Amino acid sequence: MAPLEEYEHDDEPAATPGYRTYEVYQRERVGETTNLIKPRQLISNEYLDNPYPLLETLRENYPCYRDWLNNRFWLTRYDDVTSVFVDDRNFETRPKSWCVSMGDSGISFWNDIEVQKQYESLVDTRIHDVVGEVLDSFSGNRINLATEFCARVPLLLFAKVVGIPANNQNEFISLYWESLLAKAWDPIQKQRGMLALIQIEKLLAGICDVRRDTPKDDLISAILLNVNLDREVTTQDLLLTLFDIDQETLIGGLANLWFNLLTTETEMEKVTEDKRLLKFAWLETLRHSPPVLSAERFAKYEVERFGRLIPQGGLVMCSAAGANRDPRQFNNPNEFIVGRKDLCQREPRGQYRADGLPSGIAFSLGRPSVHPAVPKERSRSLYAIVRDSAVTASEMFLDSYSSAKLVEGAEPKLKSLYLKGIYSCWELDTEI
Amino acid sequence: MDRKSTHNSMDEVLGLNTDHAGAQRKFPYMPVGEAVDMGFDENGIPFIDPRIFDSGEFGRNPYPYYRIMRDHYPVFHDELHNCYFVTRYEDVTNCYFDEIGFNTIPKGSSSGVLGNTQLELSGIEHRRRRNIYGRHLVGAALTKRLHALEAIAQELIQEWWAPDNPKGLVIDQKKNIATLELGKAFANEFPISVVAEVLGIPQRARQQFTWWYDAMMSGLGGSETHHEGLEARQDLEKYVENLVEEKRGNPTYLKDELGDEICMDIISELCNSEIDGDVMSTEEITSFIALVVGGGGETTRGAIMNLWYLLLQHRSQYDAVQSNNDLWDTAFHEMLRHSTSIGGQPRHNTNEIIMHGVTIPAGSLIHMVDVSANHDERVFSDPEEFNIFRNDLYTGKILRSGHDKEGKCSHMAFGVGPHLCPGAWISHQETVIGSRILESAFTNARINEDLMPKDIDDVSLAPIGLGSIRELWIDFDIPT
Repeated sequence: MAPLEEYEHDDEPAATPGYRTYEVYQRERVGETTNLIKPRQLISNEYLDNPYPLLETLRENYPCYRDWLNNRFWLTRYDDVTSVFVDDRNFETRPKSWCVSMGDSGISFWNDIEVQKQYESLVDTRIHDVVGEVLDSFSGNRINLATEFCARVPLLLFAKVVGIPANNQNEFISLYWESLLAKAWDPIQKQRGMLALIQIEKLLAGICDVRRDTPKDDLISAILLNVNLDREVTTQDLLLTLFDIDQETLIGGLANLWFNLLTTETEMEKVTEDKRLLKFAWLETLRHSPPVLSAERFAKYEVERFGRLIPQGGLVMCSAAGANRDPRQFNNPNEFIVGRKDLCQREPRGQYRADGLPSGIAFSLGRPSVHPAVPKERSRSLYAIVRDSAVTASEMFLDSYSSAKLVEGAEPKLKSLYLKGIYSCWELDTEI
Repeated sequence: MDRKSTHNSMDEVLGLNTDHAGAQRKFPYMPVGEAVDMGFDENGIPFIDPRIFDSGEFGRNPYPYYRIMRDHYPVFHDELHNCYFVTRYEDVTNCYFDEIGFNTIPKGSSSGVLGNTQLELSGIEHRRRRNIYGRHLVGAALTKRLHALEAIAQELIQEWWAPDNPKGLVIDQKKNIATLELGKAFANEFPISVVAEVLGIPQRARQQFTWWYDAMMSGLGGSETHHEGLEARQDLEKYVENLVEEKRGNPTYLKDELGDEICMDIISELCNSEIDGDVMSTEEITSFIALVVGGGGETTRGAIMNLWYLLLQHRSQYDAVQSNNDLWDTAFHEMLRHSTSIGGQPRHNTNEIIMHGVTIPAGSLIHMVDVSANHDERVFSDPEEFNIFRNDLYTGKILRSGHDKEGKCSHMAFGVGPHLCPGAWISHQETVIGSRILESAFTNARINEDLMPKDIDDVSLAPIGLGSIRELWIDFDIPT
């Protein structure tokens, strides 16, 4: 190895000009030790099975918990979590393309207004057909509602909205679900996810070739036709755009909604009697059982918050699951109550709505609309589109199977299949 | 109708029929030098599952995993632990020298117990503080104190034969063999006694000082004994507060063997020094003491233990050292290259950088893995071999540059550049002087294999792995 020529032998290099003092006193004191929890528990099967007891320990004892092992800060109180979300000055979200190492390989068009409008329109027009198709496919009087309905509807809807031909839809659904693993830290899972992304790209390439000549009423055509670029839209661009339109909250949220309804008799009765309450049931589900448990934010600068100094680049885990069950905001936070009085029943904007009530924090839906009333020329937010899709699907299910109930002896539960995976119900053995 | 017979396609799509490993994974113990199969990518390159870093397997057998990283992921992004690893010698060296690009802002767990220390400063301020105490640990000040080191070592060895047997010697008169555990008999106490001496901790407080040291060391790393470590730190702080008050008015001095004053002890020096016109606060002095306790105590204990473990397993090299005492210095450096007890240092990139094709966002935690750099085949041939006669390791005077004029590289155990361990010289002297005195106290020293922890085959001696061995049982012939 070549020696470092710039340094004279055994001479110390000149001190760097200027210096910084790390004067902010942030050492832990004896009374502040965090011995009620071990960081290892936050990456354990215990957390995958039921994170709520661990998150309660954090929220009630260490509201800004420094996880030494995994090099991150955990926020679990409602006000703290939401304060980070509205603080774009100090905290940033890293794009999904960074998480999956796609870097500068393309451009996501998800923020293009025309693309959003097309997406909204396509979802609104396809949802009824898709739900109808899924309901028609049921045979017999027992189904796994979680997978055969709650997961199948969003995935099939997405495939149709994107414009995947019928004979490729099952393949696309399978690949899309697999591609979510690309965000994983486990190298084997990541590889599976990355390979799925490559296969989706190939699939999209074939479809794009056709759509360029014969556009159809689908998202691919809308992007190919409407996006103004000084170059041709590539399949990488399409891939990144699709990756940005997250489906995890709809998939997991729908399963959790029905898990909550089927396991809470009183609330099921409420929505059976008045289906308009399904919207409130959905909102309460996002509060009570958010499928995406936490979101990562990175400090853009060194900031002193929550009694701690968070260094530049510091990872802050904003726990929706912890915040949504914060007793400082919600009475009896562990109970699923449709139409609860202390929950904002409309789309949140910022930390609180004008009525002063907190909302359930739900991720993967993008920013709620910043407009008090959405202008006509703009689409509804993804938050609203997902909510309406979930409510429509649930209404249609209830119309068809109003007496649906859990199979006797069934003991459904929520769990994450892997770290960073959605926290949802995977087996909801239902009699229809 | 059984729904599973007709409706399993979505279960398959969602991977519900797949066995998800969950969050935890148990790694088997492998023969030393072999890595667990963690899978391969489509090009046949082995994966690194970041859960391996939390495993017992990695602690005892880390080098095959570092080799994979050096060869295939010279910058490894560990997404589970939210950090990066830099593992090649040249990269680690370059980062250590780049104070602006790779800063020392504390994000590691050590600051919990030790407080904000010298490790976390940079540039001129780092230099100023280091120079206040650094001169006590090198050159004339150190040379004049070597007699004290020798006296402490001799005193400890004499205790082996004390009637109340405080060091737990086991004597077999029939076979004329004595057995001791080197840590208990010598290595645990020797470095910390030296540290206490140089710092100026009064004799009456040394036993308590040793307890604080043990508790603080075990409390590092966010471990389960973190709380105890913090309590020890708090007690030490209270004690130092009074000591500082005493020494601010009445500084005490280190003396040479004739009883003449050499200079103030370190605490007195710190109490009476000014930085930018300000005296150092008690908090600053305590943090410094905590750092010296850790750096000067535990690492040197590990150095003595590892050195003897390795030499006694390589008999011809031990014989060579016995016949030529100058080789102790060489053996010391080769031991630190082979099995240093400090794994590396954390740094944080000030700006976004791209290293080996990996984009590292600004402010990321980057582990500079010294132990991997020390085993880099690009610098040291047969790096897994302990060989005091190797000709590719620089073993002369410890240099900040990390290499001699011909470019021969030193080991990375003390780091390089501005943050080169200030205790490197004294640690060297402690280990070598202590070992020479030990060697003269032993006749026909050899490892008592029956009492030693074994490796997975229940036959071989346990490898050192990361850190240092906890016990070393030695048999020797009772001197006549």
